[in-house]
Order: sequence, then C-alpha cells, then structure tokens
Amino acid sequence: MNDDAELLERIRNGAPDDFAEVVRRHQSRVFAILHRYEHDAHKVEDLAQETFVKAWRALEQYDGRAPFEHWLSRIAVRVALDHLRREKKRRNEIGLPELGEEALEWLRSDDEKSELDGRAAAEILDLALRELSPADRVVITMQEIEGRSVKEICAATGASGVAVRVRALRARAKLKRALKKLVKL
Amino acid sequence: MNERKWKQLFAAARNEAAPAPSADFEAGVLRAIRRERRTETPAMLSIFDHLNLLFPRLAWAAAAIIALSVAADWGLTAAGVPGLGDGVSQISAQWLLTSNGF
Repeated sequence: MNDDAELLERIRNGAPDDFAEVVRRHQSRVFAILHRYEHDAHKVEDLAQETFVKAWRALEQYDGRAPFEHWLSRIAVRVALDHLRREKKRRNEIGLPELGEEALEWLRSDDEKSELDGRAAAEILDLALRELSPADRVVITMQEIEGRSVKEICAATGASGVAVRVRALRARAKLKRALKKLVKL
Repeated sequence: MNERKWKQLFAAARNEAAPAPSADFEAGVLRAIRRERRTETPAMLSIFDHLNLLFPRLAWAAAAIIALSVAADWGLTAAGVPGLGDGVSQISAQWLLTSNGF
C-alpha cells in the first residue's frame, strides 16, 4: 500500500504518465468487479476505462485513509451502478433475451446432481437480476457472488448498514420470485 | 428455488472468470486522460465568474455587515445618540430642502 502512496504522490507532483502503473496494478480487480454487472467484454473494458479516468480526475480527493484499492473499487461500483441504470432504460425498450438450453434445463431439473457452469449461471442471473432495481442488484451481487460483508457493501455504496440489510432482504425475495418466473418460461 | 440450488447458482456464477484487459488497455486509459487534459482549457474568468466563485463568502460577509449595521443603529438609538435615519433627515432638511434650493 505504501507503494501506492508513493506512486500517487509522484502523479500528483506532475508525472501523469505514472498513472499507467496504477492501471497495471489494479486493472484485474476493476475488471472483476465490473464483470459482475456486464458480460460483454468490450463493454467491461469501456467501463474499466471510465473507472480509471474518474479515479484520475478525483485523485486530489483521495486522502489515503482507506487503501487505494478500496477507494478505486468504490468508484468501479458507482460506474457499474450508473451503467445498470442506463442499461435498464435501454433494455426496457428492446425486451429480454432468451435463456440457453443448458440454463433452462438446470432451472427445471430437480436432480440434485445436475451441474451448472459459470456461463449458464451468469446467463440465468443476468436475466433474473433485471427484475431488480440497479441498487438492489449491486447489493445482492456484492453479497452473494462476491461474498462481501455488510460493512464492505456500506463502504462501497455509501449506504448505511440498515439500508444495506433491508435492501439485501428485499433483493433476495425479488430475485427468488424472478427465478421462479424463469422456471415457468 | 430451494436453498441448495440457490447456493449452486451463486457458486457457479462466482467461478465465471472475468475477461482479461486487452494488451493496450493502459495506453487507452492514458490516451483518454490526455484527451481530457487537453479539453481542460484554462478559460479566462470574467468578473461574473469571480463573483460567482466568491458567492457564498460574499453573501456571508454582506449578511454580517447588515447585521452589524442594524445592531450599531439599535445600540446608538438606545444610547440617545442620533441614529443613521435621523442623520439622513437632518441632512435633507439642512441642505436639500432649503427654500433657495442650496
């Protein structure tokens, strides 16, 4: 983390090209976060670029109290949230895509041994999560997929602990209903 | 959906690998930053822009001056010293409203 502090100090003191090193160090984390909300690789890259440009713009505001990685993750989550909001509007206009065979089969199967690969799971979740508001989607993704604690979600979203808990409960219930609806398709 | 399937769904989603950044990703970010720096022209600020920037402080200063003036006027009136209003009427009577016009 001290390395980050020195690097950021150099950038602030007039070495903007050193920001490439910041990008190199943190790009995999930023891509991993954004990939939870967008599965198109090109769009993920655009969102990651947006995240780093926003971080560069706000660098003066980073006070070093939290690790840089956490600060950057917070920006990535905000970028993802804005993206979900834009996409929600667009998707309402173009309608829903269809689920693949494997995903449908798994949803309908009662067999305890039925396997599910990551791609099919992402397909199911992507479709079901569209029933949720972008903010609910962020909370459930962080909690259930990324395994983050309520405290971490609060830090990333700026919401209070109570708000996150309530939202998580509500989002789980909505997601269960949405998945039930998919089974009936 | 039962709890087992719920867990299986999220566990599978967790295992999905994120795409890797393209080889020139860092260069793309730096290009975007340079573009942004170029568009940040050091615009000449007009007097209105300066006033605008100073606005909250100017407003507080003006409010403080008004409050001080009112307080001083009250204080002076209470002490029997002619207030600002009296001074103005006196000047009007003596100089502006004389019969010869001056």
